[in-house]
Amino acid sequence: MKKRGRGMACMWYPIGFTVAANPSAATVKVNTDGSATLLTGTVETGQGALTVLGQIAAETLGLATDDVHVVSGDTDVTPMDTGAIASRTTYVTGNAIVRAAEKAREILFEAAAPLLKVKPDQLEARDKRIQVLGFPSSSIPIGQAVQHSESVLGNPAIGSASYNPPTVEMDPETGQGKPFNTYVYATQIADVEVDDETGEVEILKIVAVHDCGTPINPMLVEGQIQGGISMGVGFALQEEILFEEGRQINPNLTNYIMPTSLDMPELEVGLVDNYDPTGPFGAKGAGEPTAVPTAAAIMNAIHDAVGVRITALPATAERVLGAIIEKQEAERVASH
Amino acid sequence: MATRTKDIRADTEELVTEAKAPSRQPLTVPTDKPVAYPLDLPEGEARLRTPAVGQRASRPDGRLHGLGQTQYIDDITFPHMLHAKILRSEYPHARILSIDTSEAEKMPGVLATLTGDEIPENSFGPTFQDQPVLAYPIVRHRGDGVVAVAAVTEQQATDALEKIKVEYEPLPHVFDPMEALEDDSPKVHGETNIYTSKTIKKGDVEKALKESDHVFHRQFRTQMVEHVPLEPHASIASWDGNGRVTLWTSLGRITLGREDLARTLAMPQSKIRLIGTVVGGNFGGKNEITNEPILALLSKKAGRPVKSVFTRGDEFISSTIRHPFTMDYTTGVDNSGKILARKIRLVLDGGAYCSWTGTTIGKGSILAPGPYNIDNILVEAYAVYTNKTTTGAMRGFGAPQVCFAYESQMDDIADALGIDPLEIRLRNGFSENSLSPTSQTLQSVALKESLTQAAERFGWKEWQE
Repeated sequence: MKKRGRGMACMWYPIGFTVAANPSAATVKVNTDGSATLLTGTVETGQGALTVLGQIAAETLGLATDDVHVVSGDTDVTPMDTGAIASRTTYVTGNAIVRAAEKAREILFEAAAPLLKVKPDQLEARDKRIQVLGFPSSSIPIGQAVQHSESVLGNPAIGSASYNPPTVEMDPETGQGKPFNTYVYATQIADVEVDDETGEVEILKIVAVHDCGTPINPMLVEGQIQGGISMGVGFALQEEILFEEGRQINPNLTNYIMPTSLDMPELEVGLVDNYDPTGPFGAKGAGEPTAVPTAAAIMNAIHDAVGVRITALPATAERVLGAIIEKQEAERVASH
Repeated sequence: MATRTKDIRADTEELVTEAKAPSRQPLTVPTDKPVAYPLDLPEGEARLRTPAVGQRASRPDGRLHGLGQTQYIDDITFPHMLHAKILRSEYPHARILSIDTSEAEKMPGVLATLTGDEIPENSFGPTFQDQPVLAYPIVRHRGDGVVAVAAVTEQQATDALEKIKVEYEPLPHVFDPMEALEDDSPKVHGETNIYTSKTIKKGDVEKALKESDHVFHRQFRTQMVEHVPLEPHASIASWDGNGRVTLWTSLGRITLGREDLARTLAMPQSKIRLIGTVVGGNFGGKNEITNEPILALLSKKAGRPVKSVFTRGDEFISSTIRHPFTMDYTTGVDNSGKILARKIRLVLDGGAYCSWTGTTIGKGSILAPGPYNIDNILVEAYAVYTNKTTTGAMRGFGAPQVCFAYESQMDDIADALGIDPLEIRLRNGFSENSLSPTSQTLQSVALKESLTQAAERFGWKEWQE
């Protein structure tokens, strides 16, 4: 008989390396037409990082995302970056970009201030213009500020900066310390159906609510969460490298079973409203944590459905059925 | 060739017409690779709006993926480029007695072979440098590369591997991490298999467990899984006349990759250029060099560019995978479900080399007690070498493993005490200024918000009733 069950799991996850320095550097150049170029040493690994990094540069300069061209991943051209690892790109590289773009913007404020007859610290970059704080009517296009700075003052609008999250060494005996500068949090809840005659588990729905600080691009965060859940589903129910005398016996996609779109349940994704003052525009990160609580939520849902605690992953049908039979045996013995 | 270009152009035109793209001016260049039309962004597209932050901006790389314009390593080719293949170990643990490549070198199309003893500094690794680029003289798992071959075609390189003769003296091996912990187990490196450990200690866990109303104990285990990126590890190496080498690589960390290459090749960093192409999935598996030094050296020997794209089999067997954890959780609570103490022992199966184990054991240990206010904590974690595939970084660095254990046990506790699973988490969960297991004051904590929003969206309360 198919039995329904629900289970939840929550988690916490840090951004960046454990204590170790993991800096990023960035360079931002603003062109005379008001478009800009960002140089970053990280690479696009499919998660949309370069789009998010471009948005961070654009926001600092008051531009739209499409106004910033992102150049990445060439050791001859781009500055040092610890790379696409440890859910650090938005936070660490993003913070470096904010600082680099602020330096370029400072040059534009210096150039625009006399033209707008105010002091540089009375200016802001907004809607593609340099404007007097709170007075959009008193403004010039960003391109004009660049042009003036470059061609009249001889000061091209360029900025380079770096960022490294501050940490405190952990005590070697007790592990006490501050290994990370910030963490994210999340909860996922799974709705499953377990066939108690075959042990097969079908996931009907997963609700995932994650904290990533400010979502720089909510669509890409949602994409990360959906992808993370699919990895979590594989970890929970299907995937396992099997060995015989140290030799992998299923090193192929015929015998190493991964979730496909047909295995994916209905997903409902939500983001909590949060702002981390240490992150770029309040952002933290979203890469790895999306895959963290999925398996735990599914195991709790299996327990809720058929009353068995799965203690070893993956919860294949054989393993779930074995646990169900064991429980039935124990109940039979107890009732005699 | 010409017909092919024409056909593709006709197809593209049809696609573009059907999609009613705003710009349909066809562009062509005289190669057999057609260039699709530039597509104007639709008006109102989020990329064009200010402020930029918070916009659901589309990805420029996504457009190129859709048009088939993204160049992965497999799409990149150079004149006279060779293809490399790697012969891997026949044993989980053995000493190489001899390697004879002479027959392979006589095979058609073969232009270079490479063994571990030819690599200037044959070791790498992000924590400690215990991993050889090509194993020599000891192989420590079946995925260890022993000989690399560069040939004109992939098939020629694959065929040549069969002609290589390697003599081994098998050594005692250990596969089970618990067995590897024992003093008398075969050793993978040096005198002990325990190569890194971590302790997190706060309060008095033994005393608090004694004073608890209920104590729960359970062991949890997780398996080895692979990242399975759509694009396997891939690189191309090519030298110029000034002795400068360029590598196009699927590596996710090019700055540090260049450092590792400079070290293994014993060359100045200024003579090495790494170009990180668009990576077809990383998930932690492409965070360190793999075949890059091999290709650089084969290319130098052969005087031609050399490419390698791992097969799916190579990807499973020789790239890093996720650490299996064995986790003993003992948790003491009072009658209200408040956690008083948590004692945890983690054993990480490290496989043959360290790789990213340092980070995995660190994050795994710190996160192991869960996002809960607990005054008395003891986490003891050990990573052990075994003669199996190397475990390294994979999405979560130990977090998915420990989350499975701490959250399963939270439900065990809730079940035994008759408390709603949501309630027990809200009762114990972190809030602003909570102290972490390392006594760090936590800020921008949104755990309870995520719990209550998820429960609301799911209809948790309605269902509980």
